[in-house]
Amino acid sequence: MFKVEDLHFTYPKNKEETIKGLSFEIQEGEIFGLLGPSGVGKSTTQKILIKILQDFEGNIQYKGKNLKDYGRDFYEEIGVGFEIPVHFSKLTAMENLNFFMKLYKNHEEPEELLKKLGLYEDRNKKIAEFSRGMKVRMNFVKALLNKPKMLFLDEPTAGLDPKNARIIKNLIRGYREQGGTVILTTHLMNDVEELCDRVAFMADGKIVEINSPKNLKLQHGDRKVEVEYEMGEKLESKVFSLDDLKEDEEFFHVVKNHRIITMHSKETTLDDIFIEITGGESREQS
Amino acid sequence: MNNLKTLFIGELQRLQRYHIIAASLVVAVIWIGVLHFTAVDDVTNIFPLLLFLDATTMSITLIGVSMFFEREEHTLKALFVSPITKGEYMISKIIGNIISNLQTLVILYLYAWIFKEINLNIFLLVFYVIVISIFHSMIGFLLAYRSKSFTELLTGVITYTFIFLIPVVLEQVGVITGELLTNLLYLLPTKAALLILNSAANGVETWEVYYGVIYLIGLSVLLSVVIRKGFEAFVAKESGI
Repeated sequence: MFKVEDLHFTYPKNKEETIKGLSFEIQEGEIFGLLGPSGVGKSTTQKILIKILQDFEGNIQYKGKNLKDYGRDFYEEIGVGFEIPVHFSKLTAMENLNFFMKLYKNHEEPEELLKKLGLYEDRNKKIAEFSRGMKVRMNFVKALLNKPKMLFLDEPTAGLDPKNARIIKNLIRGYREQGGTVILTTHLMNDVEELCDRVAFMADGKIVEINSPKNLKLQHGDRKVEVEYEMGEKLESKVFSLDDLKEDEEFFHVVKNHRIITMHSKETTLDDIFIEITGGESREQS
Repeated sequence: MNNLKTLFIGELQRLQRYHIIAASLVVAVIWIGVLHFTAVDDVTNIFPLLLFLDATTMSITLIGVSMFFEREEHTLKALFVSPITKGEYMISKIIGNIISNLQTLVILYLYAWIFKEINLNIFLLVFYVIVISIFHSMIGFLLAYRSKSFTELLTGVITYTFIFLIPVVLEQVGVITGELLTNLLYLLPTKAALLILNSAANGVETWEVYYGVIYLIGLSVLLSVVIRKGFEAFVAKESGI
């Protein structure tokens, strides 16, 4: 879907490059996570991919055609879900959607989208009367309004309660199952783990790691299991290597002769990987 | 073309919902008050001056305020990632501005025609108001690009008023009379604007009318190039996602 080769970008007033040679591909029908601390170039990369920033170096192909050769019709193909609410507050939800809907050749029925996001009952309320969570859901409705082939989502579940976050995540998965492609930017590693087929970690304008969440966890995790068990009136714990477990007599001794309280594999979390790979610190604004 | 229609209708709807049209009507009522309390019955000579003040300052303010709200509510970001062109976006705002200024012209003219005496060419005035609105809409875009807050926007409008409007008004009312100064005023686009409005009412030299129209249209074309170029930077600045 997208093929990015040796992408470089420098903001006009900056001396240092913000993007320092990114190369990656996004396959059609996948959910691709773009992760990293604030200021490492995620937003800049997204701005370039949605043609807001034009003066970049390198090559970007969208559906096999140079991105620079696309005109405004490119926006018929993509949907952008912003983190902050982007609605006319003194218009109702339906008035907002009717206005934006008419800017596109193809569009979904706004009422249907509002029903899916649980906003149908409030369709005639002004956006100013909406809660933060409702506005976030409206952002998602707006992103899907033009039946996009590709979605760019920035923190799509930020500020939502678990129930509404679940609705959004199910819709994202449903969108992917229908052939849609998603670029997702988020700091919520739980969302990444649930949704993303592949993730790219960015640090200092570069991609430092790119893989599936599962492979990343295997790659960065310890292949160990920690067993907590009763030893008389005391609690003891021991760590065993998963690789030698089937031949580990001490492990079998513990399991056979003691009451096991807990047993955990020492699998790492994406949060740990995020911090390990990126340093987890904010850099300059981008 | 279809997007232009959608943008224009949306613009009118928002001008109304955000009470910008209402504010414009309040200003029109103030101008009516000025006409009402004028001692003379024939308001032909005062009329162009009131239109001048309205078509210049209100054009700048309407564009600035409308873009200010779009920026505050981040709807500019949503518009930038839709299939509209920058030309469609700008033209829809300029047409909205022209409609608002013509609304004031019609209201003032009707009042003057019913309650006072007035003798001027309304069709010429419509044309001149359109020319002035277009130029001052461009100034509105420039100010909107450069203003980070509502205060900065207002400061910009006030600065423009002091530098470009007041000297021209002072000349009109006879405070500025020196030949050098009055000749220098021809450099101001606002002088051109007042000249062409005056031409619909009283004796203005023909060359001055041509100068006024050509100067304003020429400056509008130049400014439109600057504004179109600046639009890319403005979009990039406003579009952090």
